[in-house]
Amino acid sequence: MKLVKTDPILHELESRVIWHAKNMGRTLPEIRFFILDRIEFASLLEKHVYPTSPINMWEGKRMVTKKFNIESGQESSLYYEVVQTGNPSYAYLNNTNSPMTQASVMAHVVGHCEFSELNVLQDSNPDRTEYVMHLVKKVNMGQQQMGEKNYLEFWNAAESVIPLIAPHSQFNLDRSVEDESFRYHETEKEDLVTPTQKMMKPFSHTMDVLLQHDSLEVVWKKEQTKKDQQEQISRRGFRLRQPCQDILGFLRRYAPTSQAEKAILDYMYVSHATHDFVRRSQIMNEGWAMYWEKKIMLNLFAENAVKGIIDYAKVFSGVCSPRPFFMRNPYHLGYHLWNHIEELYRDGKVDLDFIEETDQQKRELWKKPGTTEPLAAMEHLVRTITDYEFLRRFLTDELVETFHLNRIPKFYVNRMGLNKDAIIRDDDHYVWIAPQPVKEEMLTFFTHFQRPRIYLIDTDFIDGGLLLFHRDDNHKLRKDWIRPTLKNVNYIWKGAVSLISGGALYSFSNNRLSEKSLPDSTFEQVLERMKKSEKPFIA
Amino acid sequence: MQEDKINSNESEGVFNDFIDEKISDMIDEVLNEGNLETLGDRGSEIVVEIDDITVPTFSYGDEGEGQGGGQGPGREGGKIRFNLPFNKFMALLAEKLKLPNLTKEGKGKIKEVSYEFKTFGPVGVILDRKRTFKRSLRTSIGVGSYDPAHGKYTVEFLRRDKRFKVPQRVEKPKFKAVVFYMGDISYSTHGQRLASEKRMVNFIKNWLDYNYGARNVDHRFFVHDVKAYEVQENEFYRVGNVGGTRAAIVFELIYQIAFGEYDTATTNYYGFYFGDGEIFGSDGQEIVNILKDNICPIFNRVGVVEVFPSQWSKLIVELEREFAVDGIVRMSRYRSNADTITTIKKLFADSEQGS
Repeated sequence: MKLVKTDPILHELESRVIWHAKNMGRTLPEIRFFILDRIEFASLLEKHVYPTSPINMWEGKRMVTKKFNIESGQESSLYYEVVQTGNPSYAYLNNTNSPMTQASVMAHVVGHCEFSELNVLQDSNPDRTEYVMHLVKKVNMGQQQMGEKNYLEFWNAAESVIPLIAPHSQFNLDRSVEDESFRYHETEKEDLVTPTQKMMKPFSHTMDVLLQHDSLEVVWKKEQTKKDQQEQISRRGFRLRQPCQDILGFLRRYAPTSQAEKAILDYMYVSHATHDFVRRSQIMNEGWAMYWEKKIMLNLFAENAVKGIIDYAKVFSGVCSPRPFFMRNPYHLGYHLWNHIEELYRDGKVDLDFIEETDQQKRELWKKPGTTEPLAAMEHLVRTITDYEFLRRFLTDELVETFHLNRIPKFYVNRMGLNKDAIIRDDDHYVWIAPQPVKEEMLTFFTHFQRPRIYLIDTDFIDGGLLLFHRDDNHKLRKDWIRPTLKNVNYIWKGAVSLISGGALYSFSNNRLSEKSLPDSTFEQVLERMKKSEKPFIA
Repeated sequence: MQEDKINSNESEGVFNDFIDEKISDMIDEVLNEGNLETLGDRGSEIVVEIDDITVPTFSYGDEGEGQGGGQGPGREGGKIRFNLPFNKFMALLAEKLKLPNLTKEGKGKIKEVSYEFKTFGPVGVILDRKRTFKRSLRTSIGVGSYDPAHGKYTVEFLRRDKRFKVPQRVEKPKFKAVVFYMGDISYSTHGQRLASEKRMVNFIKNWLDYNYGARNVDHRFFVHDVKAYEVQENEFYRVGNVGGTRAAIVFELIYQIAFGEYDTATTNYYGFYFGDGEIFGSDGQEIVNILKDNICPIFNRVGVVEVFPSQWSKLIVELEREFAVDGIVRMSRYRSNADTITTIKKLFADSEQGS
């Protein structure tokens, strides 16, 4: 691993890229570029884009396999761009790439770093890479305290829970669990008062109660509920007020772990938490990066800082090539949507005049300078929305056609089991389906990300055990993995763990799994019960 | 950033340890079941296949074949395949069986000769361009013909600056071995006996190849019924149609070949006899005499295996009178596949072990 300043050509390119980015008014954190060889690159990716990681068998397995694949030519060691955002951001260049490719990678990284700084999910945080390196040291120290066998067992157990991270879910840790640090303001803000009642709060809670004209019974019940909740927090240190989807976050904070075990959970959580951000904003993020990459690269070509514009055009069009909606290419979709949005604002097509115009011909020829500066509007979108809203607001049926999202290669048709009625036209190679369901399908993706939605719904189920709930998405969980996964959660929680899934209750305790049938209950029912401070499910 | 090099060496080490454990388990299985077919062809790499491992999680999808493994890795039903070098496999097998390395005779007498370019000199055929250029550049700087500060860029190549690669003769001791496999092909030897013989011969071949190097071992096959003669390996497992049998003649034949065709001072001799042990007349005593007088003085090891012996099998009974505890002659009765490992241990252990 070398600093980019050790290579005069790349160092010059770096300074030009940053200069152009700042000249275009980009908001950038400090970006540190490094040059890696191909094996270092492969290793970095297996360490989740951090330079160090604790010893673990899974990374070893992936690296052994990857090295074999690279050496036997089954896998390319060329990677387009790898960056760990944050402030400072760490970006890595592959030493086998040409200067032109390196410049495009740097320009692309600039886009990611700015997106990380500006986005609504507040992805960027100070010293992220340094913090993870600190956690790695803590885990390594913890390994010595735990002993190799216990360390490996706990690590393997924790690996099972990694997919259960959801820091940006509406059922994340802060919204779902209250403890000593934020029980009052959270509860009062959302449950007990309406916006109009908020005005009364500074004067007297008693006055509020008097003005509500509730019956004594209701008042007594509310007070009793509140008292129970406070006592629960006092006894256990926390209270689950609604389902919690951020299960690893919960275990990290509340599982009875030793310091060494907590260090492992901290590392797992921090090093994987950003994946949730990536899932929720990938189209905007990659599109933003491609948008600025192209602008910066055109400037570099114009000033002759790099050569090979034809090669760049080939690579760019390859990266931004259209794919059908189910294989969505975030580079392609994001880049073209940002360009489309820029055009909308530039031509005033988001202004009230355009929206109220009923003459179709006028609408089609509409070109009036908008009241909002396009770039400012685009930055505002970055600061306020994620992919779901991005697509919902801007992806029209016409754009689905224009971006070829509804165009499916024929050899996929049978594999997908596509109904012939759904096909609106075809040619020798492709079929086209109606655009409206495409958009709906793409939006549905953001409800579950094609993964099981598992929630923690009770922390005092059987003998103080956890109860997990699998929200039905018309898919069944892989049954033979329920037991080992529950066993791993049990190993971390050190108590009974149960799961409701597909009309069955699976309970794991004392190294045994039991299973019994249940009447179906929906997530909404569970949520309703929890809001009423009732048990979500009684065994 | 303190790390100079990003790598996953330690994690790879943990995974490799895990794989080593799996291989060890596999070898245990091979040994427990006496199943040596895994050895494959002579000296080839062993293809090891183990259950794939992955982290069990709540996920969608069909069930795999295996079960997840608790705090250990889960099994996904797929397989991981990798090649295990033959030598490593044999070393692990030897470790498990507690087999000693074979004693090699002929040290220092025969050498394996090769040439390595370790030195460089002013005369020769293959010019070392890098060294020559370095010396020439140094000389040119010294005489002032190369001086970039004053615009001089000439590098002169003088004869004395030329450096050539000089081959150096490297000698390593070479060991040579010959193995005589002797088989009884009278009609009483058939079916399961042949399969067991094949299994034993396969192991012996691999074990000697491993010890001496595959290219240094001659494997020769001899069969007998009432006559003895040399055959190709595939004919070794053929069943004859002659009822009677004389084993002494095959021992006599291999002695003649061992003495006549090989240098007794530099060759390591091994002989292994497989048969049902049913001998007639003075056959047993004749074998004892040949072994005692001719074969034992020059052979490293002679093994006699009665494969599925019957109540009429008397060969080992006869031999035990003379060689009950012997450093050269070893005997074993092979009654079932489970005896494969016991037999191997008896044939190759340093000292005679009980079964």
